[in-house]
Amino acid sequence: MKEIMQYINKDSFLHRMNPLSKIAAVTGIIALSVLSTDPALMAIMVLGIFLASLKAGLQQELLRQLKLLVFLSVTLILLTVFTLKSGPTIGYLIPPGSFAAAGMVPVTKGALDFGMVLSLRFFAMLFAFQLLVITTKPSDLMKALLTIHVPVDYVLMFVIALRFIPSLQVEGQKIHEAQLARGYNPGTGLRGKILSVKPILIPLVANSLGRTQVLGLTMDMRGYRNRQSVEKHRLEWNKMDIAAVGCVALMGVGVVLTGLM
Amino acid sequence: MIKVRDFSYTYGTAEKPTLENINLEVPAGELLLVTGHSAAGKTTLALALAGILHQEIGGSFEGSIIFKGKAIGEFDGMKELSRHVGMVFDDAESQLIFTSVEEEILSGLENRGFSETEIKRRLEEVMRLCEISHLKQRAPHALSGGQKQKVALAATLALDTEVLILDEATSEMDTNAVKRVFSILKRLKEEEGKTIIIVDHNVEAFLEIGDRVVLLEKGRIKEVKSPKDLPAAGHPEEPVMSETHDKIPHHSPEEGTADLPPSGTKPNNIPIISVKQLSQRYDEVRALEAVDLEIYPGEFIAILGENGSGKTTLVKHFNGLLKPHSGSVSVKGLDTGQAPINELVRHTGLVFQNPDNMLFEDTVEAEIAFGLNNIGAGGDRGAITRALELVGLGDKEKVFPRQLSRGERQRLAVACVIAMRPELIVLDEPTTGLDAEESDRMMQLMCRLQQEGHTIVMVTHNMQIVENYAERVIRMESGKIIEDTKGAALTETAAADIAEGTRGGMCA
Repeated sequence: MKEIMQYINKDSFLHRMNPLSKIAAVTGIIALSVLSTDPALMAIMVLGIFLASLKAGLQQELLRQLKLLVFLSVTLILLTVFTLKSGPTIGYLIPPGSFAAAGMVPVTKGALDFGMVLSLRFFAMLFAFQLLVITTKPSDLMKALLTIHVPVDYVLMFVIALRFIPSLQVEGQKIHEAQLARGYNPGTGLRGKILSVKPILIPLVANSLGRTQVLGLTMDMRGYRNRQSVEKHRLEWNKMDIAAVGCVALMGVGVVLTGLM
Repeated sequence: MIKVRDFSYTYGTAEKPTLENINLEVPAGELLLVTGHSAAGKTTLALALAGILHQEIGGSFEGSIIFKGKAIGEFDGMKELSRHVGMVFDDAESQLIFTSVEEEILSGLENRGFSETEIKRRLEEVMRLCEISHLKQRAPHALSGGQKQKVALAATLALDTEVLILDEATSEMDTNAVKRVFSILKRLKEEEGKTIIIVDHNVEAFLEIGDRVVLLEKGRIKEVKSPKDLPAAGHPEEPVMSETHDKIPHHSPEEGTADLPPSGTKPNNIPIISVKQLSQRYDEVRALEAVDLEIYPGEFIAILGENGSGKTTLVKHFNGLLKPHSGSVSVKGLDTGQAPINELVRHTGLVFQNPDNMLFEDTVEAEIAFGLNNIGAGGDRGAITRALELVGLGDKEKVFPRQLSRGERQRLAVACVIAMRPELIVLDEPTTGLDAEESDRMMQLMCRLQQEGHTIVMVTHNMQIVENYAERVIRMESGKIIEDTKGAALTETAAADIAEGTRGGMCA
């Protein structure tokens, strides 16, 4: 079984980048996608991130999220179409003549644009964050976050949360097998999915809650609260780092300037 | 090193104290063994000695614990104490945080301000010591239970603390791995003068290097002995036959066998399971290679092997959880590649190691009904009562399953499966995490089921159980069966120091 959101041991240009510059770039991308409302800029950003993943040979990882993201986008666009009316009407969800002469549920350009922006935001944020996580060792990520003085408790929380993803996946699988061995057959489709929730979710949550304490204690025992690292091999900046941060910064400046004008 | 004076402790919400009036002195360089039944307060004592109770958990304390001349509560949090104490917990999974074994071990080292060459040296040394060098780049969460425990131990050993506390840290390791840990600890004690505290319900493996054995009972120290006064390793205690027999209601074999063939293997029987040239792989790792095996009705089989040798992978084929990559498995003539799982589970009941992975209902009764409903036998109230009585939980019908003790939960898991009356019952490590008394109960239960005509297959690394109960032993190594010994032949291969009468087929 493939794990999602886990470090992938490879040697791509993204892996060689300084975790700090990656964090900076991702923070920049997230900030930009929240602040900007221009679908074109967003599209460029998503494309840029995807190209980066292509170069690093990690596009498969991003594409695995596609199903979820497309589902999310469609929902968001439908939601805005239903709730938001601004700008010229492009068409009707229910064409004129079928129920009423004038057509029902008008689709406006403003709603469509806004729906697109919302969707692209998710694409940009999720892709960028995922690339950061899968190309940076959790221990390097921790080091980088601690270097920029993120409080140690938050760093620990973040790493523990990441750590729980594959655990939950593996454990979910085990629980699923254990229930299958009891002849459990939830069926397929939506009904099956809903029926399967209780026998899988309850053991999963109960086990995870029991696990957090040991995990926290272990991190304490390994001394994360009083580091005295000598940092001999200080994380180094290379050209790629400067390019990435520069690129995002440039876009930021662009957005601010166009916003002012 | 550590002085405990009149120490009592009650968990925040508990009514009764978990530890009562503990007086104990652990001098530097001692190797102390702490043992006792489940719920005797062993883990709580370990947490207290590590300072975790005072620093992290809280609750109400009486008396004092002095660590290196200073009250343990006065240290500056676990961050200061962790320089002196290393602790390995029983749940290995939760102690592995990172994405590779190497990173896991490095994580602690990098926080201690060692030089880079020193870090590298220690990493290599500790991986060599714990025999995990070949796992260096593997993801910890993808390892087997025993391997995980090795990595968790290695990560703690790497920190090189003066005091080392192991709480059931070897429970899932195979015999060889435990021997390895034994020699590592022996060296740490003799050459480096470390203070080591081993907390385990079964300290037999470590008696030889132990200085003292503390026996806990109901939160009190019952006695402190010298290891010499205890039966030495290799001389197993007699299984507690009489006691457990009384607790399990007696059914005469005929009563329950109406729908099952009589026990007693006839050589020309049709095999219940027939495995032919079975191979299986996970990504690039080859888990099983061309395995051939036949299991006949009424057999009591133990499958042995080192951690990661393919035992669990093999038994998951018996009820179709895994489909053969190549080769074939048939259960009562049904091809597992074709037949749906919910059909196969009527014939093969598989009980996993961790009962907590299946318990989700609000009552014990509902938990068993779940399986029965799934196979369309929901109305069979008698099956529930009977299964619960068999496992000795007859009076717990309405109890919330997760409130049961570990041993009870394990037996409930077995009840869930046997209620469905499969001919073959497969148990993956059924005694792991159980104390001697609970293990015996579990084994008596297996005997009982065999007498009622079920076929039993157990995956285990507990040699004691194998020697006492199994009639046929299958040994696996790197995905292959390397030994398959039956009945009389078993006598020659099994350890020679066991009395004739106790070996193989204690059930018969």
